[in-house]
Amino acid sequence: MRARLIVQLAIAIAACGQERDPQQALAHAIQLHQAGRIEEAITAYRAFLKLEPEHVEARSNLGAALSHTGRYEEAIAEYEQALKRAPSNAGIRLNLALAYYKSAQLARAVSELIRVHEARPDDRQPALLLADCYLQMGENRKVVDLLTPLEPQNTDNRAFSYLLGTALIRDSQVARGQALVDRILRDGETAEARLLLGTAEFMARDFTKARKDLARAAELNPRLPSVHGFYGRALLATGDPANAQAEFRKELELNPFDFDSNLNLGFLLRQDQKHDEAMPFIERALKVRPRAAAARYQLATVYLAKGQTAEAQRELEQVVADEPGFVEAHVSLATLYYRLKRKSDGDREREIVRKLNAERQAQQPGARTSAMPAPAPNSQ
Amino acid sequence: MIIGRRGFLAALAGGLSPARLRSASPWFEEVPPSASGISWVHENAMSEKRYLPETLGPGCAFFDYDGDGWMDIFLVNSGGCDFYSPPRPLRHALYRNNRDGTFTDVTEKAGVAGGHSFGMGVAVGDYNNDGLPDFVVTAYGRVTLYRNNGNGTFSDVTEKAGVATPGWTTSAVWFDYDSDGLLDLFLCSFVDYGTDQHLSCGDNKLGKHYYCIPRVFRPTRSYLYHNNGDGTFRETGRNTDIERALGKALGVVATDINNDGRLDLFVANDTVQNFLFANRGEGRWEEIALPAEVGFSENGQARSGMGVDAADFDGDGLQDLFVANVDQEMFSLYRNKGDETFIDVAHANSIAQATRLLSGWGLKFFDYDNDGAVDLILANGHPDDMIDLYSSQVRYREPLLLFHNERGKLRNVSADAGPVFSKAFAARGLAIGDFDNDGLPDVLVGNNGGAPVLLHNRSAAGNNWLGVRLRGVACNRDAIGARLSWSAAGVRRSRLKTAGGSYLSSHDPREILGLGRAAKADWIEVQWPGPSRLVERFENVPVNRYIELREGQGKRRDPHIG
Repeated sequence: MRARLIVQLAIAIAACGQERDPQQALAHAIQLHQAGRIEEAITAYRAFLKLEPEHVEARSNLGAALSHTGRYEEAIAEYEQALKRAPSNAGIRLNLALAYYKSAQLARAVSELIRVHEARPDDRQPALLLADCYLQMGENRKVVDLLTPLEPQNTDNRAFSYLLGTALIRDSQVARGQALVDRILRDGETAEARLLLGTAEFMARDFTKARKDLARAAELNPRLPSVHGFYGRALLATGDPANAQAEFRKELELNPFDFDSNLNLGFLLRQDQKHDEAMPFIERALKVRPRAAAARYQLATVYLAKGQTAEAQRELEQVVADEPGFVEAHVSLATLYYRLKRKSDGDREREIVRKLNAERQAQQPGARTSAMPAPAPNSQ
Repeated sequence: MIIGRRGFLAALAGGLSPARLRSASPWFEEVPPSASGISWVHENAMSEKRYLPETLGPGCAFFDYDGDGWMDIFLVNSGGCDFYSPPRPLRHALYRNNRDGTFTDVTEKAGVAGGHSFGMGVAVGDYNNDGLPDFVVTAYGRVTLYRNNGNGTFSDVTEKAGVATPGWTTSAVWFDYDSDGLLDLFLCSFVDYGTDQHLSCGDNKLGKHYYCIPRVFRPTRSYLYHNNGDGTFRETGRNTDIERALGKALGVVATDINNDGRLDLFVANDTVQNFLFANRGEGRWEEIALPAEVGFSENGQARSGMGVDAADFDGDGLQDLFVANVDQEMFSLYRNKGDETFIDVAHANSIAQATRLLSGWGLKFFDYDNDGAVDLILANGHPDDMIDLYSSQVRYREPLLLFHNERGKLRNVSADAGPVFSKAFAARGLAIGDFDNDGLPDVLVGNNGGAPVLLHNRSAAGNNWLGVRLRGVACNRDAIGARLSWSAAGVRRSRLKTAGGSYLSSHDPREILGLGRAAKADWIEVQWPGPSRLVERFENVPVNRYIELREGQGKRRDPHIG
């Protein structure tokens, strides 16, 4: 008790001192920050900024401290205020982008990172971060376009090779992607190499091989971003939803805003009729990709299952407006209209389902064809 | 179900408890070929090219072809077709029941060997109301209608009857859709498999051909034949939703989903939405699967529907539906909400969880322990014989599953049902029938490329039962569409005599009414199907034996059963 009183007294004295000497107060805040006493640093920065609200460095530091504690929205507000005073400060903008990135506001992160990358074209960090944002948003071609010019000076950078290789493979440029895999493999068996291999195999629908390589990648480095997510997808594709769920959860522990893991886990939970449990994962997937029709559709089906017809209708109508060829969404919308006794609307959607299915069927090879493409089998 | 005071007390006393039924011996015991005399083995004709018909059969049936009161067995085989020339003659098999647990092969004598098309399934029905069961064999190739000559032989009357159906037919059902007292015929048609060159799917990751997912083939229309009453049929599905609904039909059950006295059809399609054809009377059919919420998964996807059945599993007087799908899709148990819509309650009945990794074919609601409530059996097996190499969890051979009905809720009791439920099969068809007339329904499973499995039911020591053979007079002879109600120890139950159900298979036409611990049935009422729609009560009926109830010989009552 006595010791605590002494500490409190010291803090009170220090605070009195800050009021008298702003520079000393800032130095103290920085000292606390550097010592890892983040909450105290935040208090100290705020106290200082009451005295000097225009101080860019202090506001930026406060943003960094807030980010450190996961309070990204507050951090973003501080960075934005700092940037009003110093709009050309690329460092603060990079921090702002990181706060957006970490809070899964990828579109905003991207717009900030583009500006940072333009300001610092030779800086690898914003380029890689921007590439990772694109990758998470499914914009594989943009990753390729962004990183390809930087390839010559990054031949030995494993993270660079990994990002570009992944994007190439996901963009179906498998041969080029494979070359980057080989580059990583030159360093011996690494988690990154196994992950890339597994990803390539997954994209080529060789789920059995993908499962093996991804399992090995997870074993080599269980903290490698996206390794559990992809392993989970491979397990799902090879008929092991229980272990897939576990892998998605592992991924989300490390990377809470991984789109595919959130969506797949939400889907599996919804399929198990654990609707309330599914909802936050689907919502988080939508936070990463707000217009992703697959995620919006899953959200709608949860609403539908829970009897929240107004919300389901809003989502489904939006999904079919955005993606008129989304058959399952038309099925669910027809179901919803029939439930609401809107027969003519239901019939209209049903007719769309029929037409879309007929179009899909027409694209199948059917019988009596001489050319025999190989459609994908179940669970292969 | 209405439970009176006596029934309630009986239930409390444990009359409905499954724990009372357990005995040291397995509930279902496999009867080996050496004991049954059934030595026939299905030839699936598996080829390097993996032609799709190879993996879909066979069906099987329990029926009393010689009218001696004992269930005989029919097993469907493949046969010669445009992609397959058998190295040795292949034939179906008809086994006569020797009334001692063994069977004798009478196929040749009966004239039902077939072999001239790639057989799929069988549906039994007395279409000419002569009291002798006839049957149709579906096929990739030629459908065959066998008329029972009444002397232990059959005649192929396909052309004469006008039911020669092109393409690839699978499950079939006999039912009287227009209540004229004659059984009509619905034939499921699968995909357009071509006539000269068949699509091959390959190579897979092993560099081999594999069985195509039916998605790649074009859908077809199924066939409804109206019985003209003179031994001929005419197709009446044309210009109705039955013709317009193009599907890839594998399973069908005829049931009455809206209690309007007309039999409707629930059809399972593979990679196409299921169909629910509501019979609106006067030859009008309305396909209502989507508004009824039985066409697609909850995720809006068409699944790989295969086996189907219908029964009032929760005792609310409404026919519920069941459909089995391929692995990862889970099977669906659709509870009838009473307004021509359904809700999938597979999760709440532990079915979805149990079937996630399975692919289901033959299945049937039946009261295996005679406690009065319908239970469920599922026969499973993956269509792709190489699936073990691709999947970490899914297997080609899969276990049978048994669910026990406990006050309207199904519980997976497979682990308790006997060692055969720990084995794995490439199961396809499944038929229910009491082959030893002990009042306990037995099970016959058709295995792809293997011997059939005959399961002897020994589950319900102490429960009483009443076996009923309905004999229609004004209505169809098999009384398909009749509604049975009975009371035992104050517990009133009812059952609709549906037709079809399962996959490629046909069942014992007799109804076994489970009485539980009740020593007698208070009464039985039968609401006969049209044209009479008579409601008759039968009293002082004996128990633990089979009886025949004949239309017009009961005590007439007002039609209030439901």
